[in-house]
Amino acid sequence: MAKAKMLTGCRAAAEGAKAAEVEVICSYPIRPYTAIMMELAKMVANGELNAEFVHGEGEHAQLSVVLGACAAGARAYTGSSGVGVTYAMELYSPMAGGRYPVQMTIADRTLDPPGDFGSEHTDAMCTRDNGWLLGWACSPQEVYDNTLIAYRVGEDHRVMLPQMVCQDGYFISHIPDKVTLGEMSQVKEFLPPYRPIGPLSLTHPVSHGPQIRPDQGAPMDAMRAQTFLAVPKVIEEATADFNRIFGRNYDPFVEQYKLADAEIAFFIMGAHSNTCRTAVDRLRKQGVKAGMARLRWVRPWPTHQLATALGHVKAIGVVETSTSYGGAMRGGNLIHELRASLYDLDERPLVTSFMGGLGGETIWPADFDNMAKVLTQAVKEKKVRNYVQWLGM
Amino acid sequence: MAKELPGYGTIDVPKDRVVPFGAVTPAPVCQQDLFQTSNWRIVRPVKDDEKCTRCLICYLSCPDACWVYKEEEDVMEWVNNFCKGCQICIQECPSGALTAVPELDFPDGVARLDKPF
Repeated sequence: MAKAKMLTGCRAAAEGAKAAEVEVICSYPIRPYTAIMMELAKMVANGELNAEFVHGEGEHAQLSVVLGACAAGARAYTGSSGVGVTYAMELYSPMAGGRYPVQMTIADRTLDPPGDFGSEHTDAMCTRDNGWLLGWACSPQEVYDNTLIAYRVGEDHRVMLPQMVCQDGYFISHIPDKVTLGEMSQVKEFLPPYRPIGPLSLTHPVSHGPQIRPDQGAPMDAMRAQTFLAVPKVIEEATADFNRIFGRNYDPFVEQYKLADAEIAFFIMGAHSNTCRTAVDRLRKQGVKAGMARLRWVRPWPTHQLATALGHVKAIGVVETSTSYGGAMRGGNLIHELRASLYDLDERPLVTSFMGGLGGETIWPADFDNMAKVLTQAVKEKKVRNYVQWLGM
Repeated sequence: MAKELPGYGTIDVPKDRVVPFGAVTPAPVCQQDLFQTSNWRIVRPVKDDEKCTRCLICYLSCPDACWVYKEEEDVMEWVNNFCKGCQICIQECPSGALTAVPELDFPDGVARLDKPF
């Protein structure tokens, strides 16, 4: 096994793309993800990676370039952050509908106003209903790993969907951590070359992206939805293969930390889960039976896996790192789907949420202590007082 | 788990409604009959051959290539299945040979069809 190196999340993403031998890359600068493209540009310039490196004139152009590249049969790679992600919004649905398995790497950045550059998950969460595979990493190592896993899942002929591989800006993208890069033999065993379906071709001309009739829209939607029924199995297979080949230990959908006997649990995704694990340990020392469930994929949402993992817990605190202003719980996005996932259980856990890590703020261990107090109180009172609490507000 | 939770159900798209994967179709073809796009037309251009001078301005101005010049008969031919009734050709025709006629005036008008085609 190769020796671990200290790499930032950005470098890890670039190493993942290099290992996947991406053939077309389209860049446009916006921090914090820019460093990924800087690393890739260096690799291409140094001859370490044989890829076409295209400078897009904006994020909309970036996505258009990789759509075309993927239609021509190339393994394509792009990325963005914050408002860059939302500027490309028009392309997300056609990318999924046209079944182009490109990969977009995201280092999260808060959306404007007014030009905050801290980390927040709202950017990529905005795109979640467009038919992409969408998931978060919690370390540079997982960024590298998810880059390969996402390509493998997305390019599977049972799937053929684009993937967003997300990492928290700065917390992961710019803080180095130990990363063990795979050997090329491992990567080759895990990730077969991209085999396009009906690519653009001079010898077998095809037409991509035609106008369809309204009565053809519903079947197309249904066929995409049908695909999402098949995705979980492909993710399970790919994760199992990845664990075997690279010697890792990922749960396909939900990392469960000290959850088996937990009475209260944090439901979280991304970088702040690292603090959360420490906080859980500390709470355990104080006699609080805390645990953590960390979401690895938002799309497809692991409904049954969450019900199984969290069904026995008495109270769950969803740590939201994205906003859903005016939503059912008036807080973030995750609580809605978590509550829906638990609804059919005979004994449902109490669920509340905490707005934290917004605009780039750190969620400190003391914040988790305070959240634990709210959850313990909820257990005692057998009800949650509020759907949402804003940390520090 | 004690209780079985609801599943996601199954999705069966009827065979006659299946759309090509990713809407990728063979090309080039003169007319892509898998994806006909004229069923939202409200009016259609009707041509007066006496006034038509075959200047081909309709051919040039149509965004969907729905005017074809038939050289042997020396007439312009209108393409029913793809004309969306935008009336650009009617606006652009310098000799006033084209008129907008409501779809309901035709027995096969798309507004009358039970199914799109």
